[in-house]
Amino acid sequence: MTRVPGKGRVDLSQPVEFTFDGKTFRGGKGDTVASALLANGVHLMGRSFKYHRPRGPVAAGSEEPNALIGTRRGPGRYEPNTRATVQEIWQGLQTNSQNKYPSLKFDIGAVNDAAYMMFSAGFYYKTFMWPKNFWHKVYEPFIRAAAGLGVSPTEEDPDTYASRNLHCDVLIVGAGPAGIAAAKAAAGQRVVLVDENAEAGGTLLSEPQAVIDGVPAWDWLASELAALKAAGVKVMTRTTAIAYYHQNMVGLCERLTDHLPTLPADTPRERLWRVRAKQVILAQGALEKPLVFNGNDRPGVMLAGSAQTYLNRYGVLVGKMPVVVTSHDSAWYAAFDLQKAGAKVQAIVDLRGTVRDDLLAEAKLLGIPVKLSHTVTATSGRLRIRSVRVNPTSPGKVGARVEIACDALLMSGGWTPSLHLFSHTQGKLTWDAGRTTFLPAATPEDCVIVGASAGAWGIEAALRAGAAAFGGTAPTVEHDRTGSGVSQVELPTDLNAGRAKAFVDYQNDVTAKDLRLAVREGMSSIEHVKRYTTNGMATDQGKLSNINGLNIAADALNRRQPEVGLTTFRPPYTPTSFGAFAGYHRGTHFEVTRKTQIDSWAAENGAVFEPVGQWRRAWYFPKTGETMDAAVLRECRSVRAGVGIFDASTLGKIEVVGPDATEFMNRMYTNPWAGLKPGRCRYGLLLGEDGYIRDDGVIGRMSQDRFHVTTTTGGAARVLNMMEDYLQTEWPDLNVWLTSVTEQWSTIALNGPHAAKLLAPLVEGVDLTDEAFPHMSCVECTVAGMPARLFRVSFTGEIGFEVNVPAPMGRALWEVLWKAGQQYGITAYGTETMHVLRAEKGYIIVGQDTDGTVTPHDAGMSWAIGAKKPDFVGKRGMARPDLVAKGRKQLVGLLTEDRSRLEEGAQIVFDPDQPIPMKMVGHVTSSYLSDAVGQPIALALVEGGHDRMGQTVHIPMPDRTIAAKITGAVFVDPENARLKL
Amino acid sequence: MLLIHCPYCDETLPEAEFTYAGEAHIVRPLDPSAQTDEQWETFMFIRRNPKGPHYERWRHLHGCARYFNAVRDTVTDKFLTTYKAGEPRPDLESLK
Amino acid sequence: MNKAVSSFVPGVLATSTAATVSLAAPMGRLSLRARGDLSALDAALGMTLPTRIGQRNAGAICLGPDEWMLHADDIVPIVAACAAIYEGHPHSLTDVSGREITLLIEGPRAAELLTLGCARDIDSIPVGEGRRTVCDGATVILWRDAPDRFRMDVWHSFAPHLLHLFETGCRELAAEAA
Repeated sequence: MTRVPGKGRVDLSQPVEFTFDGKTFRGGKGDTVASALLANGVHLMGRSFKYHRPRGPVAAGSEEPNALIGTRRGPGRYEPNTRATVQEIWQGLQTNSQNKYPSLKFDIGAVNDAAYMMFSAGFYYKTFMWPKNFWHKVYEPFIRAAAGLGVSPTEEDPDTYASRNLHCDVLIVGAGPAGIAAAKAAAGQRVVLVDENAEAGGTLLSEPQAVIDGVPAWDWLASELAALKAAGVKVMTRTTAIAYYHQNMVGLCERLTDHLPTLPADTPRERLWRVRAKQVILAQGALEKPLVFNGNDRPGVMLAGSAQTYLNRYGVLVGKMPVVVTSHDSAWYAAFDLQKAGAKVQAIVDLRGTVRDDLLAEAKLLGIPVKLSHTVTATSGRLRIRSVRVNPTSPGKVGARVEIACDALLMSGGWTPSLHLFSHTQGKLTWDAGRTTFLPAATPEDCVIVGASAGAWGIEAALRAGAAAFGGTAPTVEHDRTGSGVSQVELPTDLNAGRAKAFVDYQNDVTAKDLRLAVREGMSSIEHVKRYTTNGMATDQGKLSNINGLNIAADALNRRQPEVGLTTFRPPYTPTSFGAFAGYHRGTHFEVTRKTQIDSWAAENGAVFEPVGQWRRAWYFPKTGETMDAAVLRECRSVRAGVGIFDASTLGKIEVVGPDATEFMNRMYTNPWAGLKPGRCRYGLLLGEDGYIRDDGVIGRMSQDRFHVTTTTGGAARVLNMMEDYLQTEWPDLNVWLTSVTEQWSTIALNGPHAAKLLAPLVEGVDLTDEAFPHMSCVECTVAGMPARLFRVSFTGEIGFEVNVPAPMGRALWEVLWKAGQQYGITAYGTETMHVLRAEKGYIIVGQDTDGTVTPHDAGMSWAIGAKKPDFVGKRGMARPDLVAKGRKQLVGLLTEDRSRLEEGAQIVFDPDQPIPMKMVGHVTSSYLSDAVGQPIALALVEGGHDRMGQTVHIPMPDRTIAAKITGAVFVDPENARLKL
Repeated sequence: MLLIHCPYCDETLPEAEFTYAGEAHIVRPLDPSAQTDEQWETFMFIRRNPKGPHYERWRHLHGCARYFNAVRDTVTDKFLTTYKAGEPRPDLESLK
Repeated sequence: MNKAVSSFVPGVLATSTAATVSLAAPMGRLSLRARGDLSALDAALGMTLPTRIGQRNAGAICLGPDEWMLHADDIVPIVAACAAIYEGHPHSLTDVSGREITLLIEGPRAAELLTLGCARDIDSIPVGEGRRTVCDGATVILWRDAPDRFRMDVWHSFAPHLLHLFETGCRELAAEAA
């Protein structure tokens, strides 16, 4: 055990057992998997992506690139690529390492490491170019097997996810000293303070030595947090600000259960918050930069600040005899803390020639050997560092090495402000040459960035900046630790740099050598270097590697860093589960499923459903053991021979009311409306301004100034939108208003020779005869005691009625009609039969027989054009040169010679013997078995089809070519004799 | 997710309540049949697609249901202003 | 699967310590559209139509510059009174009683329950006013009757989807407090 008594915030009196690769380990409440494993002396936690090199944690927070593990909580609950440095332990947690076979300690994939020369930058582009057919058969399967991080779960996720919208005055991201000070100063407003860690405090958790306003840091922290909560500040931990969108919308992912031993009821695993803040304070701190040297990835090599965190926050000594290598003052404090906690620091190796006197004095006092102007050139040790190779440097020269034995190597290359979210705002960065880092400049958002993320080092500076954001004053800090450093590229070495394994991006195994190679091969922009080498493209998004990558690329290009550019930071800040993004929208709640009032009857009576837009509609009603084809043929036969009942409630309905209603209808639809008398209805065709068919439906004139317009099911919202657009913006002078009544009415269609007989006894006040209520009539009346709008219309070619009653009465009316229809053998039919019956009559379905490029003439519906009208939407469009040209695709019927059913969407050719690629002259739009015709029928769009009646076309299919004869589009009762009683 | 000020409701509301409706100030000719093919092509298909301030239409679909006009900078996505349908096109200089 | 629309019965649909969602009894609903001088309509309706969007008076809420929703126990006299002035003051009055239902949403965390589906700031709707907005993909009219009491009008076919969300939300919010 390397736990230091009296250190850290982990509660060892509450022991927690978990497993890693099957072995049980013990930690305490407050441990992460990484801190608990380190406390047990385990540094080796994973294998790298490409070379399968042994790796341990290099960091202590969400920036960790190496220590990725799988976590499991029973069946279905497995998640790969979890950062061991973030995952809290709980009793019973199972974890495993990744990217290894057969075991973490002996991994066959590590041969890649020996063959590393082959996997240099751009190796995909170079290696797998030939022979061409090797890609599919050899290279891709090999790469897919060898690469990748973790294994995707295969079971359905049993957890639930949630989302919420939150509006506040101030959102503060990061509950370190800067964020807490800002929250305190802003209190009184609606303030939200979030932190990705399990507890708030940030740096304060790792620096207990600080004394704030005379109070030890941790005591100060506890009382401040209590005060903030009392003041109404919403403090959210385990909550990551993943993205910053326009106008201060910030996405937060709150993790609610991943740290709990038992899952509470009704609690989602994660919740996505969509926060809209009047002001955002970014106080995300800074990330420590690794140093780039040969062997800097060996387990035991770690960021100095992280080692300090493991010690001070978790009470874990990451090494008993560590060496520190640094070019920044901050690592000296890590060395001091470890030494005081009982470690024997073997040396502080500093790249710099001069270091602050107080640091040297403290090192001397503590008995730590110091090597200024020294470099690290290699490390040794297979699964854990054993020694480090240290050499003196002088300008342009590297002297003779010494080997220093160690069990940990703590490094610091300085600090990089965390600018990810700031960059999401399109915030501009400025290059600070002195500190070799980017700093935040202007942002278009109402956003202030404070503390270390704005380049202010130290607790007092952070407190001051946070408080200043709201005009507050900051407390004084004793024992604050500030410092400076000198940025490095690869550390100087006496070894062959071409053979160095000096890693820049740990997770994607990108070395300094790869970056320089990319530059040599012509990549001159950081964006190109990034893509060629994959530097910064792993799940950590280059949190540790981007700035080192840029410095090295700039050095190789001999240009200043801002000229080489910084890669774009993209959301999310840390990997985020798909579940969090989906929220409630999964399973039956995936999207709105709209159902009619009659849907429940259909479900009870065995309907098979199909989705139509947002609606689910009864597709067909199979009897026991009946196939779909058999059911549909039966339903069709029953309608043509008896009577069928159909739920047409989903049809869009728009009430058009006002003195200018007729004028409006005249302008919108192709048909003339002035002559339509109240009580009559007419088929209406709606075009776009381009002259193509957009929608259609039967429109009834209920009274002089009131039209009942119907639209297609899928077109309801679109048509209303289009009408409102014209009315509001082109013709605001028209006195007419539109109201959606789609859901005001349940609509039941009765079709068949017995329809009138069935309905007549139930209708009050209307004589259902050809004379009193002929085809295309409409009336307000009472049906079965319910107020109704009754239409005599037909979409089947049979005598037909559509009864509209107030929606909630729909099912009751249906049941009355169903009962009354028993004596006529009434049959419920679904959308498929409706489609067949209308196709037999050549009635189009907009969106099936038309595709947005079909004119009324193409569809054979010139009769629907009010040619005398001076204008209507689409009239001018129809006269465009291409729309009146010869050879347009026109709607025709097709009958196959072999009486087989064509496939909808199948392409049509004139000459089946022409060479491939054949000239395609159209396609099949609708195709059905037809009981009435006695053979399958089809509708098709065919080039010049109207002039090709009787000609044969060919439909090439994978196994054969089918010949079909072009016919008119009306297969049944072209004289419409069946519409008469 | 943008915030959009509806000039009818006089409230600034989430984009989720709105729908986009293309470039603004494209007026349908009073007598389309008198338009040449070229004129009609311009009306139908030719759009400015600027980099920078763009006059465009939005609809407060899930609110007051009104179409209105806006000037939005296509680079920054910032709305410079919104105004009611029928009101004159604001001068860009006045919006800076 | 979500509940069928026709299975809704007035009464409590979902409840927890955080919030309760119930279905209001059926009522008369009229969509009124008019512009210009509204005095004739005011006289016919026996009330002053509110003219600021979101404002309410009696059972009427202003939804747009020329649009109101009227809730009433009996719409027959309203329809008759408006019809009588139609010639002189054309307008559109359409019965939408069958189109939608009203959910009553109340309880200590009712406002927070709405944030599961509504992107707009619920706090910006004053008590005694209302707004048309969007909730989890469905257009709704939200009436705020008290800080913690709302009514939500929603078309029938969207109601099961919203109810499913609110059922989940009631449980989730209650678990949060526990």
